[in-house]
Amino acid sequence: MNAFWYSVILQWKLDIRSKSLLVTCYLVPLAFFLLMGGVFTSVMPQMKETLIQSMIVMGISMGAFIGLPPSLTETYGSDIKKAYQANGVPLYLGLATMFLSAFLHLMMLCIIILVLAPIIFQAVLPANLCLFFVGLAVYTVCSLSIGCVLGLTVKSQSKLTMIAQLIFLPSIILSGIMFPIDLLPNFFQTAGQFFPASWGYQLMQDQGFRLENLWYLLLVFVTAAAGCGILLKKQKSR
Amino acid sequence: MNAVEVNGLIKSYGSNIVLKGIDLHITSGEIFALLGVNGAGKTTALECIEGLRKYDSGTIEIHGKTGIQLQSSSLPAHIKPMEAVKLFAKWNKAVIDNTTLDALGIKEMEKLQYFQLSTGQKRRLHLALALIGGPDIIFLDEPTAGLDVEGRISLHNQIRKLKSQGKTIVLASHDMAEVEALCDRIAVLTGGAIVFCGTPAELTERTGKKYLIHVKTNQDSRTIETDNISDTLFLLLQKISQKGLEITDIKVDRGTLEQHFIEMTRGVAK
Repeated sequence: MNAFWYSVILQWKLDIRSKSLLVTCYLVPLAFFLLMGGVFTSVMPQMKETLIQSMIVMGISMGAFIGLPPSLTETYGSDIKKAYQANGVPLYLGLATMFLSAFLHLMMLCIIILVLAPIIFQAVLPANLCLFFVGLAVYTVCSLSIGCVLGLTVKSQSKLTMIAQLIFLPSIILSGIMFPIDLLPNFFQTAGQFFPASWGYQLMQDQGFRLENLWYLLLVFVTAAAGCGILLKKQKSR
Repeated sequence: MNAVEVNGLIKSYGSNIVLKGIDLHITSGEIFALLGVNGAGKTTALECIEGLRKYDSGTIEIHGKTGIQLQSSSLPAHIKPMEAVKLFAKWNKAVIDNTTLDALGIKEMEKLQYFQLSTGQKRRLHLALALIGGPDIIFLDEPTAGLDVEGRISLHNQIRKLKSQGKTIVLASHDMAEVEALCDRIAVLTGGAIVFCGTPAELTERTGKKYLIHVKTNQDSRTIETDNISDTLFLLLQKISQKGLEITDIKVDRGTLEQHFIEMTRGVAK
């Protein structure tokens, strides 16, 4: 196995050992899914149509905005990055391994939701699973790239928690996954469009995989990737 | 042959000039220490030489493969020692040397995670990681800081063993006893400049042939500093005899490297 894949697998194991990622990528999203799945489907039976998509958007947003950044801050805000430099390893390797590891964890979470939701809550499976997974991957990559920018920018863990919440909470409330977006005042409907969660939720719905739902996520991803590149270059030049 | 050559190294943080054009020539196979009080610039100098920090001007030439012993916060909290060893070996495309791991007791701590290791275990692990790939020049930054006596002796033995294998060791320290016990040559860094470079004996010579006479009588004890041992000792014994005191202990030494170092850094500060 080459160094890159060994690093990815090792990071995946470290993430499991690190309780924070375990909590944000599995425990809280699954607890939320079990609780809210029960509430939603009993109060609004039509939610069975979109339960999988809404719970997945919530889980990915939590894992990407709250779960991933602390690992990045731990590495790039401390002496750990010197381990890369001392061994002649490019600085982006840490980012790439953490990104991939978080991606795998979040995919596992989505599969668990996808399997359990129809069994427990009689939720409706997406009609086209292939397109659903492509949309899911796009939203996950986009969200993780925002998490990467957060982790590379904010050096203090307490500030990070606060800023991550400022992105996570509106993502959940204004994206339409908890209740139909039409119920919100116009201002909040517009504000919700700035958060990728709204677009991800649209993209993963049946017949939602269209360019008009895709372009914003791609734009956010490209911007965040460029931001990460600049931030890593800054770290290197110190 | 020089393993490391540094000429006119300048590094500043904003308006604060930390290194003011330092020159260093470190010979292959020697143990060389960069000595200085906290804030003298030794870690910055070492990191510039190691390639971990950018510098403003000057030249640094390294002749050989380097291994760097990182500080005790440079690994993820949940990594296990053998995982770190395997990772570093993969990065360096090197084969793991089990003899070194056994000598440093890495396998004994196999089941622990990094945050569960003691300071001594972390230091040993970082030394093992620095040795992966068989470097010719090994950089150690305060290698025994925070270690107990046993850990310190064990690490000193490891460092001597590396020297006997022909490795060049460059270490930064503010521990005089360590430097005196280990190093062939030292450079004293004060206020970002090298104020001395030579052997520990030369440092002692340079600060003067000062002797310390420690005398204990049945009434008191005192230490007298002198450049002229015979005259001072003669006068001292005469005085004690006149007072009718009884000598219970008497010792003469030339002061430790630490005292000479303090004198030198004080002199520069003045």
